[in-house]
Amino acid sequence: MKDFIRPALVLLVICLISGAILAFIYQQTAPLIAENKLKAEEAARILVLPDAEFFKPVSDSSEVLYYEGYNADSTLVGYIFSCVQYGYSSDVKTIVGLTPELMINAITVVSQAETPGLGANCTREDFTAQFTGKNPDNIYVDKDGGDIQSLTGATITTRAVTNAIRETFQKLRDRL
Amino acid sequence: MDFSTLFLIIIGSIFINNFVIHRFLGLCPYIGVSKNMDSAFGMGMAVIFVMTMASTITWLIYTFFLNKATSIFGLDLTFLRTIAFILSIAVLVQFVEMVIKKAAPELYKALGIYLPLITTNCAVLGVSILNINSFFKIDGTPVSASFIKSIIQGASAGVGFTLVLVLMAGIRERLEYSKVPKSMKGMPISFIIAGCMALAFLGFSGMKF
Amino acid sequence: MKAIQEFTKGIIKENPVFVMALGLCPTLAVSTSVQNAIGMGAAATFVLLCSNIFISLIKNFIPSKVRIPCYILVIASFVTIVDMVMEAYVPPLHKSLGIFIPLIVVNCIILGRAEAFASKNGVFRSMLDGLGMGLGFMLAIIIIASIREILGVGTILDIRILPASYKPMIVAILPPGAFITIGLLMGLLNIFQNKKKSKA
Repeated sequence: MKDFIRPALVLLVICLISGAILAFIYQQTAPLIAENKLKAEEAARILVLPDAEFFKPVSDSSEVLYYEGYNADSTLVGYIFSCVQYGYSSDVKTIVGLTPELMINAITVVSQAETPGLGANCTREDFTAQFTGKNPDNIYVDKDGGDIQSLTGATITTRAVTNAIRETFQKLRDRL
Repeated sequence: MDFSTLFLIIIGSIFINNFVIHRFLGLCPYIGVSKNMDSAFGMGMAVIFVMTMASTITWLIYTFFLNKATSIFGLDLTFLRTIAFILSIAVLVQFVEMVIKKAAPELYKALGIYLPLITTNCAVLGVSILNINSFFKIDGTPVSASFIKSIIQGASAGVGFTLVLVLMAGIRERLEYSKVPKSMKGMPISFIIAGCMALAFLGFSGMKF
Repeated sequence: MKAIQEFTKGIIKENPVFVMALGLCPTLAVSTSVQNAIGMGAAATFVLLCSNIFISLIKNFIPSKVRIPCYILVIASFVTIVDMVMEAYVPPLHKSLGIFIPLIVVNCIILGRAEAFASKNGVFRSMLDGLGMGLGFMLAIIIIASIREILGVGTILDIRILPASYKPMIVAILPPGAFITIGLLMGLLNIFQNKKKSKA
């Protein structure tokens, strides 16, 4: 019996000490982690609609459909919505900023796990910049007859980004 | 129950995102145990069992004790995930070892030291964590049927592991009769073979249903 | 063995990746870029150092029967600390390393050194051993990552090394590239070892 108690006791002591230390560190880092998450979301929104100072969400019964962006004088400077579509090997999530006239102001890809070096280049500025100024109702990849230049060797990823923007925009158009 | 989702999980874990040659989990036994087909097959079976059981146990622990949204305590203890998971896996492997020793002593002898080493097999802890990442939303609520999906992903990951392990063992048995340059014998050539296999399996990526 | 050799053995002679073939999973997975390699190497070295020191301190209190679970508990605690700290202070690195941060706990190097060295040696030597092995591990990943990043993207640490007209060999940053690179490097190492042996 004795040579069962000692090992169990040692394990218990180590568990308690480590649990206490971890709980302490968790309390210290949890607020920072939450803050980082918020900052990342904000950063994406500011990237696609730089003139906006604050955002007002517009939702239907269960989820946020899009955000309206206002500047310091409370004038509407645009809209922001997010769209997602499965690309080659992962969901590609894009955040789109629209001008008040419903043209694309800028886009940014916030999450993807496409092929590195090929589809993963959809996050690069030189790819996303070409969406600026386009009409989201009518964007198609060049291979489908449009004027969005597809990434080298990554038509499927390009299509995912382009079609996601167009389809989500068409769904939201009546509400905007 | 959406069978096409389950089918996608199975095909995904075995072929498209094979745990060994795409996710790089479970490499140590892949290179170490794959010298002959019988021990490779036996190891594979043990790993499938451990991965399935581990997926089950870790899902239960996470859902009912650690995850704030569903736990019986209502506290956010997700930071204890790594410790809780690896300890339960260690206990599970200990248990499996005892069972195999009694039920199949020849297999126990053949696996030798590699059986307790299943505890440190990245694939087992890896699939447990992957289940949480795939089947729980960011706010902590589980997706529909996340328990079944986790078990299926665990089992399929094990099957994928066994598949490439057995393939590698078959190739290495044949390799005994080939002329391998002296400096490439053993591990270097095994890695090159793994690279060729990885190249072949790349063909599965982009498969859609 | 002289104290300083405890440190240097981990870097070349008993390099955990190339010589002992331990810690292969994270080595191949994070070697897609030198930045990830440095991050993972630093995290693993930190855990290895702390766990070696801690286990060496309490080695006389741990009953032999439960030593493996005790080591695992200690290592897992340090890994969780590293995980939380990285998520708070370096979120982009934490995201690129992803699942491999908690997987440091099953990195055979750390458990191996705890069992083979820290449980049998004093704190100072265990510290040197941990530091040496950790740096050897980091060095191995950096070497592999440099090759893969140069061939696959043309840069190192986002500094362009190869001219922009270089068409990158994408396979280098995909899984096959990892296996082939480490296979060739190990083969190269064997050539050197054999040459040394035939000279001696």
